[in-house]
Amino acid sequence: MVSKIKKKTLSFQDTIFNLQKYWSKKGCLILQPYDLEVGAGTFHPATTLRSLGPKSWKTAYVQPSRRPTDGRYGDNPNRLQHYYQFQVLIKPSPKEIKKMYLNSLSSIGINHEEHDIRFVEDDWESPTLGAAGLGWEVWCDGMEVTQFTYFQQMAGFECKPVSVEITYGLERLCMFIQNKKSVFDLIWNDEGITYNDVFHQSEKEFSAYNFEYANTDILFKMFEMLEEETKSLVEKKISLPAYDQCLKCSHVFNILDARGVISVAQRAEYITRIRELTKSIGKVWIESQS
Amino acid sequence: MSELFVELFSEEIPARLQINARNELKKNIKNFFIDNQIKFNENFNVYSTPNRLVLHVDKIPNEIKLNSEEIKGPNVNAPEKALEGFIRSNNTTLEKIFKKNTEKGEFYFFKKDSRKIKVSDLLEKNLSEIFTKIAWNKSMKWANYDLYWGRPLKSILAIFNKKPLNFVFNHISSSNKTFIDKSLEEGIKIFNDFNSYLKFFKQKGILIDQDLRKKIIQNKINEIIIKKNIKIEQNDRLIDEIVNIVEKPMVIVCDFDNKFLSVPSEILITTMQSHQKYLPTFNKKNNLTNNFFVVSDIKDTKGFVKLGNERVIEARLSDAKFFWEKNKTQNLVKQVDKLKNINYFKGLGSYFDKVQRMRKLSSLISDDFLISKDKIEIASSICKVDLMSDLVGEFPELQGIVGGHFAKFQGFDKEVCLAVSEQYLPNGMESKLPKKMYSVALSLSDKLDSLVGFFGINMKPTSSKDPYAIRRMAISLVRLIVENEIKIKLKDLIVYTCSVYRDQGYEFDTKKIQNELSDFIIERLKNYLKEKKIRQDIIESSIFLLGLDDLLKAYKKSKCLNKNIKKEIGFETIAAYKRSSNILNTDEKISIETLGFADPGLFKNEYEKKLYKKINDIRKYFLSVSKDENYEESLKILSSIKNELNDFFDNVIVNDEDIIIKKNRLELLNMLCKTFDNYLNFSKIEA
Repeated sequence: MVSKIKKKTLSFQDTIFNLQKYWSKKGCLILQPYDLEVGAGTFHPATTLRSLGPKSWKTAYVQPSRRPTDGRYGDNPNRLQHYYQFQVLIKPSPKEIKKMYLNSLSSIGINHEEHDIRFVEDDWESPTLGAAGLGWEVWCDGMEVTQFTYFQQMAGFECKPVSVEITYGLERLCMFIQNKKSVFDLIWNDEGITYNDVFHQSEKEFSAYNFEYANTDILFKMFEMLEEETKSLVEKKISLPAYDQCLKCSHVFNILDARGVISVAQRAEYITRIRELTKSIGKVWIESQS
Repeated sequence: MSELFVELFSEEIPARLQINARNELKKNIKNFFIDNQIKFNENFNVYSTPNRLVLHVDKIPNEIKLNSEEIKGPNVNAPEKALEGFIRSNNTTLEKIFKKNTEKGEFYFFKKDSRKIKVSDLLEKNLSEIFTKIAWNKSMKWANYDLYWGRPLKSILAIFNKKPLNFVFNHISSSNKTFIDKSLEEGIKIFNDFNSYLKFFKQKGILIDQDLRKKIIQNKINEIIIKKNIKIEQNDRLIDEIVNIVEKPMVIVCDFDNKFLSVPSEILITTMQSHQKYLPTFNKKNNLTNNFFVVSDIKDTKGFVKLGNERVIEARLSDAKFFWEKNKTQNLVKQVDKLKNINYFKGLGSYFDKVQRMRKLSSLISDDFLISKDKIEIASSICKVDLMSDLVGEFPELQGIVGGHFAKFQGFDKEVCLAVSEQYLPNGMESKLPKKMYSVALSLSDKLDSLVGFFGINMKPTSSKDPYAIRRMAISLVRLIVENEIKIKLKDLIVYTCSVYRDQGYEFDTKKIQNELSDFIIERLKNYLKEKKIRQDIIESSIFLLGLDDLLKAYKKSKCLNKNIKKEIGFETIAAYKRSSNILNTDEKISIETLGFADPGLFKNEYEKKLYKKINDIRKYFLSVSKDENYEESLKILSSIKNELNDFFDNVIVNDEDIIIKKNRLELLNMLCKTFDNYLNFSKIEA
């Protein structure tokens, strides 16, 4: 009797490997995650800053992303305050980018001829980055698996040339591939380690920190200090260290927001302050590129 | 006769941009043919799929004849170089140039022979500009190019008379080729005419014509709903969007677990429609069923699409159900205090402050509405609590509605629940209008509080900016009052609202708010009446003598006059008024001041007396009706003065030699006009 070869389920880490290999073959520089807390892969300087200025650039990397308000103490099957994005940034946007993207899905087992892949309008805007782009969210059989954006503006500057950014939500994508209803059931590797094993405790504790224990007095002070530090570094014309401080500001703001101590009006004010920082950094960066 | 066939192939263009681009392209190409006096089939069409914008015009001549014309050149006294340039630019020789006198002097002329121009040449020269003229609602740039388009444009296929048109549009050269595979942008194929193009794609299941796609989708859905004995809600916006995000529509019936039906249906419907673009279905009793339609862009041969979409809705509904179960048991009353933690608006306090104000305001309104003070105060207190729930966090568009469900679950009075649910209604001109008095009272106090607050901190909308949708708020207020025929003293309510703010420590300039807000609301009433297709002069007249407290009256009077203005009662009323006021206007200039009181002792004949009596009868009528005036009846009574007035004008000379008698007659006419003012100020009505 010939035993059926059971199709191996693509693990979480294999999904990442495959995407890295795929984009590496397409000429992307494979970078590592940025070592600061950020809200999305876009905040990595390899996207934010590199999308500015005239030089060509191609990269792909995984970025852990933190959204303190999205924490659910590990109780919700679809919500995390810490999750992974796989980010691709190519400048200028190549002509065959859609084909490249669809083939990248094939590399992780999603054949576009068998699934309803849809490019649904979703224009993107990041008020803190002073950034805007046009594009889509990509649906696979009704599930949003990717953000696909042509940057038009970054840090308040017009993008020329225009970069294309592809952001895969790795957990969502894997839930689709592995056919799981809960993110915590995702299979991380071939040894049977699950997402739950790796992150459940972290989700629980960080939710408690973000919603209950974060010391808001200290955080408010930290924001002021970090803002001041950013400004002083901008004056020294060192954009990368200035940008680090600005990212920290942004994260502190996100925790304060999760703690519910920022009113609607204050919120707008904080966002404006961060945007002003980003803009001043963007200016210094662009000057350093020419 | 030939056809023009163009396909602009791009990455996926969003539905509303496609619709806009189709219309723009249609308009621009039409103008091109008209401007160049080229005949064409005016019933042409522009089609689109997410990737293909397609233009097809037929019955176009291959050539057009341009008549001979004289072309004016430089003045004969101009430097020789000018003449040389003129000869060169017209591609002619000196022998063919002649001089001719015009009004402005003697000029060189050249007679251009009649000639034929190929339409294909004209198209090649102009298509690029026609495309540039497309005004996108939103457009973008990509790569290194300078072109703006809805999404990256990849190729242009352009055919005239079965032959390719060759031109360059920015960085793209036109050809007779396109990509067959829209996903990978592969499979290049040549097309030389529209029909073979349509046919080719139809064989692949791809429908270029959006109307055809719509029909196919609707037919398929109808087929299924008949079979399953269910129905869908008419939702043109959603259908039009769906039609324009697929090229080969496949309708799939999916279902979700029945257990989710315990969640309020608005939440389920919103999840399906606005988040996933699914079509929910209902049974014959109008209850939501667990079947829903997905329109896929691919044939679901392996069942992946159905499975995937069902999993997505399962996850989304689980989320919603989880929040619903959690939030519904959280005591609304106990949470009111927590509203202190959320800001309503900078300078206007927290939501706790707002509901306290609303409570006082609605309590006062309840006296006029003859509704229970207790109930409306409860509704006011709890109405904003749902803003703190996870559900409203997830579904902001369901604020209020969700609160109403919480209240219902927690056993609040039915009218209280409905009021909470409808507190944001109406939301603008088109939205649903609450009818129950508790709902109206709550909505009214919410809007009044907001309007007074925003005017108080000087956040009034400007002509171009209205970020807090304050105009819409005021229009909604107008609708609440006039459409529900509510008689309230809006002026007093504004003053009271200011005092409620003052109790909380806000120092507003009551007088200023009252004036500005009054003008603002009356301006909205005018817009409202305009929307109701009431003549501009009637609108102006109706609000001329009426104030903020008379919104309903102004609405009813103008509506009634608008309806009757071409009928006898309207026509005669205006004629009577105009005839009288015209004399007054001419004579008043001769400086006779009239007060509107005639002295019967000075009357010289029956006609004056009869007219005087008639006017007095009308006055008595207006004194007696005041509250329950039937406006059509009023117009009828006004118009009935016709006979007395005609007799008066036929037999009495106003312009008597005796200045006292003359003045008295003018007084009589002024009295008539002033009496007519009881309806409205007719002086601004155009006869």
